[in-house]
Amino acid sequence: MDTFLQQTINGLSLGSVYALIAVGYSLVYSILLFSNFAHGGFLVIGGYICYFALKSMGVSIWVAGFLSLLGAGFSAVLTERLAYKPIRERTNVTLYLLIASMGMSIVIENIFVIVVGGRFRALPPVIPTHPVHLFGLATTSAFDILSLLAAVFFLGALQLFLIKTKWGLAIRAAAYDLKTAGLMGVNVNLLISIVFFVAGFLAAVGGIFLSVRYTLYPQLGMITIKAFVAAVIGGLGSLPGAVVGSLILGLAEMLTAGFISSQLRDIVVFSLLIITLLIRPQGLFGKNISEKV
Amino acid sequence: MSGYTEGIIILLCINAIAAMGVSLLTGFTGIFSLGHAAYMAVGAYTTAILTVEYGVHYIPAILLGGAMAMIVAYVIGVPTLKLMGDYYAIASIGLGETIRLILENWQSLTRGARGYPGIEGYTTLYVSLGFFAVMAFGMFNLIHSRFGRAFKSCRDDYIAASLLGFNTARYRVLSLVLSAFYCGVSGALLGGFLSFIQPIMFDMIKSTELTSVVVFGGLGSMSGTLIGAAVITLVTELFRPISQYRMLIYGAVLVIIMVLRPEGIMGQYELGPRFFRMLKNRFTKESSEKEGEPS
Amino acid sequence: MMTATPKNVVLELDNLNKFFGGVHAVRDMTFTISRGELAGLIGPNGAGKTTIFNLVTGVYSPDSGHINFLGEDITFLKSFQIIRKGVARTFQNLRLFPRSTALENVMVAMQQHHGYSFGEAITHMGKWGKKEREIHLNSMDILDRVGLAERAHQESGTLPYGMQRRLEIARALALEPEFLLLDEPAAGMNPEEVNELNDLIVGIHEEFNLTILVIEHHMDLVMEICPHIICMNFGAKIAEGNPDEIQEHPEVLKAYLGEEVEE
Repeated sequence: MDTFLQQTINGLSLGSVYALIAVGYSLVYSILLFSNFAHGGFLVIGGYICYFALKSMGVSIWVAGFLSLLGAGFSAVLTERLAYKPIRERTNVTLYLLIASMGMSIVIENIFVIVVGGRFRALPPVIPTHPVHLFGLATTSAFDILSLLAAVFFLGALQLFLIKTKWGLAIRAAAYDLKTAGLMGVNVNLLISIVFFVAGFLAAVGGIFLSVRYTLYPQLGMITIKAFVAAVIGGLGSLPGAVVGSLILGLAEMLTAGFISSQLRDIVVFSLLIITLLIRPQGLFGKNISEKV
Repeated sequence: MSGYTEGIIILLCINAIAAMGVSLLTGFTGIFSLGHAAYMAVGAYTTAILTVEYGVHYIPAILLGGAMAMIVAYVIGVPTLKLMGDYYAIASIGLGETIRLILENWQSLTRGARGYPGIEGYTTLYVSLGFFAVMAFGMFNLIHSRFGRAFKSCRDDYIAASLLGFNTARYRVLSLVLSAFYCGVSGALLGGFLSFIQPIMFDMIKSTELTSVVVFGGLGSMSGTLIGAAVITLVTELFRPISQYRMLIYGAVLVIIMVLRPEGIMGQYELGPRFFRMLKNRFTKESSEKEGEPS
Repeated sequence: MMTATPKNVVLELDNLNKFFGGVHAVRDMTFTISRGELAGLIGPNGAGKTTIFNLVTGVYSPDSGHINFLGEDITFLKSFQIIRKGVARTFQNLRLFPRSTALENVMVAMQQHHGYSFGEAITHMGKWGKKEREIHLNSMDILDRVGLAERAHQESGTLPYGMQRRLEIARALALEPEFLLLDEPAAGMNPEEVNELNDLIVGIHEEFNLTILVIEHHMDLVMEICPHIICMNFGAKIAEGNPDEIQEHPEVLKAYLGEEVEE
């Protein structure tokens, strides 16, 4: 029972970090209808900014975190402007965007390989990781609780942004139909930049927590595949879907690690994806899109 | 011929065989896969185990490697090919990684993550050229047949295709199974070339590379695929001395192609009369447009 | 209107119903089409005409009722199975393969009756040469019949609109069907093109020994060529008969006049 409770908390914590990444990925998908494989790059950028701000500038985690989120947000906007905007302005073939994003993902990863090297780096101990006893029922780490809380905070903030602000409304309208939103007078390019900024921003939050959990290295972005899987399980383009899918995935991973074998956790994750898609091809919360004939 | 040149030609053949398989699936049938390196892995391991443990001659072993990849693809493809677009692409990552993880964890059969050494060096220049020639012949014939037209119609409009009497689900599976065969044989040849295989060689980056080659050459052009495979293989070899920049350049090239010429080198055309007619039309059109411009 | 005996019935709809969410798109639809007929299905926009075609060709499955084709229940068959039984159709919003040439568009359909094995396909041996020649020649014949032979090697997406419509008919004919469904073949055409189209439809009807059901939004075309007309509105059949009967039918007048006022 102890292990179960403990692994559940760990699973929710890991899942909530996935959710931060998956939500950004899904948000981009809902607007531009392509899988942005460079999303993992934003996470790595955020991680390294945080690392060097702490190491070289000696600032507090609050400042480093803030710089990291802004930096990743702006890199996401830059990526969109440089690589995606010229393509989407010329064609509506989303495959081209997909491949360009794979290219950008390779570029970002290898810029870090070249500039800072491929070695694993541990973030200075700015986020507490000491064990916490939960009412004598289970033991977990302060880190897991903190990352869960941070994820809840940022996802809540995103929800408020989407519901309460003018741009949030515009983004939700564009998710139904980008072209019509454009015709209604929404500045589409600015809207897409905002979406990418939000996506990069949230990915960096995930990046900081992941680099504490697994250390930081240029290929850390590969972990976003799990977040993509989560988003697909939840239904591509659906934000609640991305969150639910992420929590399911985090739980599945941690419970497998706790009760079966740590080596099997990825196999379980991918099997979960396949099984979900076979039963519900559009994912848990996805729109059932059938073509008009 | 020097050993180095010979090695490059063998590698060209190996890469071109896998690229033709992915081209059939992605370029001609419109199914976007990010897990095809796994079929190379299945072919490579099947052939390695058959030749090393059971002393099977390499030619039947290579073919059985391809056949095993086909079987795996069939079992996976029948249920999952109902998925369309990005859903299948993400699912294929999952499928590919699952196969790789199984190979990594099935210690008793595959010797795990550390790799499988001591494979007989059966992939000589003539073996690789022979396989390439036969498989290219089959592939070009296939796309210039009723099957080629069927695949393309499933790609362009699967509803129209099914209303022209095509069992689109069956053609999608057929395309996947054939592409898996090509990748399986390619993997088997790679094992015989390197004498050593390791699951990590067949990860998602390798799958991405296969798809990129096809996109680079032009979706829906088999000759473009061969040109793309040749260019990317040669460029990769050229940059090997500065290997840390190699991947960076590779990624940047992908982005630049998508920005400047997303239809790839050949567009949807084969190297043939229609391609040159298209080129001619384009140039005459461009020059006439320029003439029409007010100065 | 011919009397329908079981022997010469081609298509029979029996109490067909289809819902989309809360919308009752097809309501208790019952009619029969006999062999050799050139029938028209008319009705205002959104009446459910195309939905009937989609149900017959297996794009959708009905929620209740039955569809019989040549005495066989095809209600729950898949599209490609229904097509292989001898049904062909065109689409309201053209569904050609725009990047393929006109000839390739027709060949894709023509090959259904000129098969050869996979082995022959990858070796180009055996029947490959003979069958491919047949496919090519027969496709050219059909293009010639609809007046597109000169455009055979042009990419179909670059053809003028009226030609694309005729190409779609050619592609449907290449399936060598017994029963042809034409979905608004005159949409977007000028009066002259509509006249040519009339001649084409009447011509192929006799030449290829076809049974045809045409959807038309405009009454004139149907009135001119179809002796048997079914009129529907809001998913239900409101009238059936010959052009004179239809023209005088109060429900039809109401449906059409009502719509014209809205427009």
